[in-house]
Amino acid sequence: MIELTSAEVRALAAAAGLRLDGADLAEVTHRLNAFVEVLGGLAGLDLTDAEPAPAPPPDLPGAPR
Amino acid sequence: MTADLVHRSAVELAGLIRARTISPLELVEAYLARIDRWNEALGAYVTVCRERALEEARAAEQALGHGAPLGPLHGVPFAVKDQFDTAGVRTTSGSRLHRDRVPTEDASVVARLRSAGGILLGKLNLTEFALGGTLTHPFGQPRNPWDRTRETGGSSSGSGIAAAAALAAAALGEDTGGSVRTPAAWCGAVGLRPTWGLVPRSGCVPVAWSMDAPGPLTRSVEDAALLLSIIAGPDGRDRWMRPAPGDPRADLERGAGGLSIGVVTTLVDSPETDGEVREAVRRSADTLRGLGARVEDVDLPLVPMAGAVFMALADGEAAAWHHRTLATRGDEYDAGTRRRLVTAALLPATLGQQAARARAAIRTQLWAALGRFDVLLAPTAPTAAPPIASAQGPIASRAEAGRRFFNRRSYTTPASLASVPALSLPCGFTAGGLPIGLQLIGRRFDEATLLRAGRAYERETDWHTRRPPLPA
Repeated sequence: MIELTSAEVRALAAAAGLRLDGADLAEVTHRLNAFVEVLGGLAGLDLTDAEPAPAPPPDLPGAPR
Repeated sequence: MTADLVHRSAVELAGLIRARTISPLELVEAYLARIDRWNEALGAYVTVCRERALEEARAAEQALGHGAPLGPLHGVPFAVKDQFDTAGVRTTSGSRLHRDRVPTEDASVVARLRSAGGILLGKLNLTEFALGGTLTHPFGQPRNPWDRTRETGGSSSGSGIAAAAALAAAALGEDTGGSVRTPAAWCGAVGLRPTWGLVPRSGCVPVAWSMDAPGPLTRSVEDAALLLSIIAGPDGRDRWMRPAPGDPRADLERGAGGLSIGVVTTLVDSPETDGEVREAVRRSADTLRGLGARVEDVDLPLVPMAGAVFMALADGEAAAWHHRTLATRGDEYDAGTRRRLVTAALLPATLGQQAARARAAIRTQLWAALGRFDVLLAPTAPTAAPPIASAQGPIASRAEAGRRFFNRRSYTTPASLASVPALSLPCGFTAGGLPIGLQLIGRRFDEATLLRAGRAYERETDWHTRRPPLPA
């Protein structure tokens, strides 16, 4: 499992134009690693037909009404 | 009479005003007195519109004598989450960054409630920018009216307090991933997240465009239906809105007979769900079965990942909205908000897209279940309101971050991800006296059936009539 270090997270933040240090850096590192772990688990799902339309219109076929 | 008056439902109060049994001025004064008595202890209001409310109450009283047509909320005092713009009244979004922001126009939902005759009492507290996890609330710590050491739930914290503690006749919140339903559950109120696309977001400071849904927090399902009937429908500004298919109150008194209800075992029987919550929710299912509903278990195996999927998507949308301010004025955010937004800003794009695909899979699963059942039933939250202190300590590990942020959200976010409506209503109390919330999830744009199920349950039980220990 990938485990981002604080130094890597600080570098990512700098690339995004965000300053990150101290308690913020420690906590964001934990939060980001939690995301990487959980969302990495999605790779095991069959998402072949799962197209990422965020909020389809109400008359979309298959909608429950 | 006055002490009891504030606890009445908005429907009852509107009827009493119309019958000239009470006056709008008397009612506004009664709520202002209660706000004076309890707001400092509970942290519900950011801004109280005292003079304006009194003035509008006098005008409402005069209108009663003129025989002019009256709106359905004529003279009824309401309050709104401070995420909704109000012309001439500051709208802080619960943030120091917006402490002096005064909009020039009402949000569509506020304008509609006022056009219906409602009187705006004030603006209600929330977690910063309607994101959860605020560590220090700049306008006061919201406190649960049943136990002031406990959380209210967010982000519509003040709306939950105002409804449960009778600091307004009704309140408005905004639900992105549970922000109406969780405070309703933890404070002992009714909270409705309408279908995404039914209630316009114009003039509502956004959290996540694809999931934001303004909705009522009230003391009864009947009141939630009344408010929805007023705020629903296109406003000509929010282009994604669709017309309501009919009056959401149409089936309110039809009872539960003939409804099919799926009990989401994935959530009810989850090890995350507290035993007292599980028992209360199972008893609720039995109550609805006793009223003539067909009740069966249904498993939705993708639902436990909904919390993480939601946060990846909603927080990503929020981080995009906040990015410039975060880069230039990051220190002015609350630390909890800042950490949440920065995390989302750094999430790899591939994981974000995987989350978007997982959202589609969760939606497909929920819609399939709603093809079999009229309504799904689950707990609103896995526990009753936790201590305020429990969410304020530092996060020391990846596992703790996952526990604190993802698990609880998997109870309310499935409806958000699937763009379907959901209702939270009181269904019991813990041995320690804290309210428990029952969540009903319905089909898109079929609020009428959802509210019908909720109202049938409400008529059969008295949980929604219990009052927090706050004397007049």
